[in-house]
Amino acid sequence: MPAPARRAAPPVFGTVTVMTTDTVTLTGLRTVYGTGDRRVTALDGVTTSFAGGTFTAVMGPSGSGKSTLLHCAAGLDRATEGVVTIDGVRLDDLGEDELTRLRRDRIGFVFQAFNLVSTLTAAQNVELPSRLARRRPPAADVAAALDAVGLADRAGHRPSELSGGEQQRVAVARALITRPAVVFADEPTGALDSSASRQVLRLLRALVDDHGQTVVMVTHDPAAAAYADRVLLLADGRVVDELTGPITAAAVAARIAERETVPAESSW
Amino acid sequence: MVSVRRSASAFVAVAIGVALVAAATLLLASGRPQVPDRLARAAVVVQSPEAGASADAFVPTRPWSATATAGLVGRLAALPGVAAVVPDRTFYAQPLVDGRPVAADTRREDAHQGHGWSSAQLGGLRRTAGEPPLRPGEVVVDRALGLRTGAPVTLLTAAGPEAYTVTGLVDGPGVLVADEVAAALAPGVRTIGLVLAPGADPERVATAARGVVGGDGQVLTGAARGALEPRGDARTRWIGMQVLTATAALAGFVTVFVVASTFAFTIAQRRRELGLLRAVGATGRQVRRMVYAEALAVGAAAGLVGLLVGAALAPLLGRLLVDVGYEPSTFRVRYELWPVAVSFAAGPVIALLAVWSASRRAARVRPLEALREAAVEQRPIGRVRVAVGALLVAAGLALSVGTATADEARIAAQYALYAVMALVAGATVLAPAVVGPVVRLLRSPLRRPGGAIGMLVRGGALTATRRTAAIAAPVLLTVAFAVLVSGMVRTTTAAYAAGRADNVNAGWILVPDRAPGLSDRAVAATGGTALLPTTVYRTDPGELPADRPLTALGVEPAGFAAANRALTVVAGSLDDLRGDDTVVVTEAANLRPSEAYAVVFADGTSVSLRVVAVVSDTSIPGDLLVPRAVVRTHDPSALTSTVYVRDRIDPPAGARVVDVATWAAEADAAEDRLVWLFTLLLIGVSAGYGAIAVANTLLLAAAGRAADLRLIRLAGATRRQVLWLVTAESAVVVLIGALLGGAVAFVGLLSIRAGLAEQVGAPVDLVVPWSVVAGVVGLCLLLAALASALPTWRSLRRRPARSSVGVVG
Ligand SMILES: Nc1ncnc2c1ncn2[C@@H]1O[C@H](COP(=O)(O)OP(=O)(O)O)[C@@H](O)[C@H]1O
Ligand SMILES: [Mg+2]
Repeated sequence: MPAPARRAAPPVFGTVTVMTTDTVTLTGLRTVYGTGDRRVTALDGVTTSFAGGTFTAVMGPSGSGKSTLLHCAAGLDRATEGVVTIDGVRLDDLGEDELTRLRRDRIGFVFQAFNLVSTLTAAQNVELPSRLARRRPPAADVAAALDAVGLADRAGHRPSELSGGEQQRVAVARALITRPAVVFADEPTGALDSSASRQVLRLLRALVDDHGQTVVMVTHDPAAAAYADRVLLLADGRVVDELTGPITAAAVAARIAERETVPAESSW
Repeated sequence: MVSVRRSASAFVAVAIGVALVAAATLLLASGRPQVPDRLARAAVVVQSPEAGASADAFVPTRPWSATATAGLVGRLAALPGVAAVVPDRTFYAQPLVDGRPVAADTRREDAHQGHGWSSAQLGGLRRTAGEPPLRPGEVVVDRALGLRTGAPVTLLTAAGPEAYTVTGLVDGPGVLVADEVAAALAPGVRTIGLVLAPGADPERVATAARGVVGGDGQVLTGAARGALEPRGDARTRWIGMQVLTATAALAGFVTVFVVASTFAFTIAQRRRELGLLRAVGATGRQVRRMVYAEALAVGAAAGLVGLLVGAALAPLLGRLLVDVGYEPSTFRVRYELWPVAVSFAAGPVIALLAVWSASRRAARVRPLEALREAAVEQRPIGRVRVAVGALLVAAGLALSVGTATADEARIAAQYALYAVMALVAGATVLAPAVVGPVVRLLRSPLRRPGGAIGMLVRGGALTATRRTAAIAAPVLLTVAFAVLVSGMVRTTTAAYAAGRADNVNAGWILVPDRAPGLSDRAVAATGGTALLPTTVYRTDPGELPADRPLTALGVEPAGFAAANRALTVVAGSLDDLRGDDTVVVTEAANLRPSEAYAVVFADGTSVSLRVVAVVSDTSIPGDLLVPRAVVRTHDPSALTSTVYVRDRIDPPAGARVVDVATWAAEADAAEDRLVWLFTLLLIGVSAGYGAIAVANTLLLAAAGRAADLRLIRLAGATRRQVLWLVTAESAVVVLIGALLGGAVAFVGLLSIRAGLAEQVGAPVDLVVPWSVVAGVVGLCLLLAALASALPTWRSLRRRPARSSVGVVG
């Protein structure tokens, strides 16, 4: 896999980024949408990082900026202020095409829905990022990736012939095959029943455990968060709490309930 | 990533466009002058000098006089390899069957032409019975007339009905008389045919003949002899060329337009998927290239299908063109290489042109758009788009002013067409900005049909302005085109007819019936004022071109002055138009009375006339006035076009009596008919296309809206309500397009009317053929209703609860 072009970073942050072992770092991230009356501060100074080979869950009330955080971290959206680095590369230094190439090579996505191109089969969807980079992954790799998510026999099916959970698993297989440094998932189980959810979460966990990849997942389900190594709690665009160590659904729920007793303007 | 369903509409649009282009270009390539059968065996033909007129005037060449002909014949006969030299004489002669001209033959020019018997050897006419005509009063006729040898037959000639006896029958149109009779009826000769000795080389003989003829004519061999086809055929073919070129150009223009809007629409529908592609690593350029590749694939496949369909349709269309009079009866479809190549290339080219702007928009889709739930369009219209639209509208308005102020009808019509193209393009570009206000305008009529539905219809049309505009664009195009072109043709025709009727001071008018003109006998019987037109040739001293053709009208001055209200004498007096050497010219000639004016007449003789009066340019329906007797002397076969009479009379053979209004309306009836047919053809092409485009876009939209509709069903709407909703939605969009298109066309029509009023010098009524407009709008409405209701009905048969996977707001 060709390394993304590393640019000489400006001296202020250059030394910082090179020394870190973190796959993704966010520094002073602020995102403001709209102007005047319709001005919304979605992120209000977020500084955090996601270490290589870890699984982080991002939680928070609706509208707290979870998705915005994910989008900015993944280079899908540009923050108003602040710096994002992925594998030591500053995203704000990159042009649109370089950013795209970085996404193609280093980042995987699993969205809540609409993960797959409807006109392509499951196997073709898995191949897509490599094909866009003008590489053709060996058929065995594609089959292996689909096998890993338990869909070996569905390779030729189109998204409309797959259930929601199966579609999410194809998206995971896609994230598996290019071995991206980091996989971002925005409520990947939001539209699934509990058994399908478990399958997808186990697969995400396996990315971290078996392949040393980094996963950042937005969720509002404490049970899903329990698969993570670390939980970030967001409120009003700020990181307000963090759980580490062995995480259980009960602990997460308790911590959330705790914050709920503190007067908060939004509900879950 | 080419999806069959998604590309279907673009495919159909391109295929139809290419089919039209292919059929039109194939027919265009087939329209070549034919060597007349009558001259098939004359390997070398000498034609008299070209008249100094533009190629599309279709005037006959300047004839040789009797002496010039005799000299040429003598010298050509002396050339080695020449077996016979035959001056081919052509004059008016029409056999009457049961006292009337044969109806079926009126459109074939050669059916009422007579020739000398010696001409028969030029074409290898086969005599099927009887003897050749040797004496005056003897004739050989087409055996298709059903006459027998020895039978009496009446021939209508320029002098009047004459009694002849059939001496023989041939296998071909026209009549053949004794050479001396032909020489009297057609003293001027335009064609001399050479029959070669066996084994003689035509090219060598032609070279020798060129030495003999010099500048006094052209020597033609092989396919070049097509130049000798009847002038009427050449003219018909020219009209056909115009029709076909316009059809092909229109088909191309409309196709690009319609396909562009289809592509724009598919791209708008695929934003989410394109966003996903961008998110997983496709660069903007890759997305753009993908869109281009899809268009190319669709264009090439559709082009191939279109080409095959067009090629299959060409012979049918060709026959149709002959039937309606756009091609001469000798027309045959030939499959040439260039139209095939052009049409094959047209598909991809049209598709690529059409996808250009959509591909730019596709490349600009941001990766985040994969994640946004509702596909609410944000800005309805870009700034560049507003600027482009405004520029186009401005250009259209400027051209409309050009139409209004143009002096010449033809130029005005051209301006009008460009004006409407610019206005239509502008209106389509600006449509998203205009759709909102128009929908709001339509609010009140929409309020009645059931509150909820009306609300949904308005809401949909207002928020998805681009979608609405994409559907309205083809309607706009079609209606604007139909209203403008049909209105322009009808208004112009009516204005000219009114102008003509105004200028004539007579009760009734005698016009030819199933004959090209009226004979002298018929004219004499009426006692009215007659116009006897003939073509003369004038070489202005020191000016080019030489041998300029002019229409000279043979008249009786007193009667003519009384019947012609428009007549304005600038100098001299019409009363002096007598004797055998006087002429009245128009101001354009730049002469004064008593100056000399030399012209060559139809018999090839050059006569120096004396100017006795000058009239204003628009006051006569020709270029010159000469005494009627002068025309008759020099052109024994000239036919009277019109006779003005005071009272209604019994018409003689080959004539009809009509009132002035009818005459004015009919005067250009043949021409008007062709123009109107042409107009309907163009409107038909664009309307069919527009309706297909509307249906296409709606079918696509229905696919995209299935989820929406299911939601409305779940919210408690009955099936009937949902059907009513989608039908009302499409109807509203079609009406918006029709309104915008009508407005655009109206601007164009008003400027055309202003231009016409200036030309005719009187106020002109705007004539809009509402039946055509209603037909076009109705067609669009019908197809729109079907295209939205049918797929909805099909999708509604499924249970409302089966919602698609993963659609969560
Ligand atoms: N493109 C946008 N334009 C305007 N406001 C936005 C946009 N995206 C997000 N927001 C606003 O930013 C805030 C955070 O949104 P989001 O990150 O989607 O929240 P979450 O994913 O935590 O529910 C919300 O108030 C939302 O309305
Ligand atoms: Mg969110």
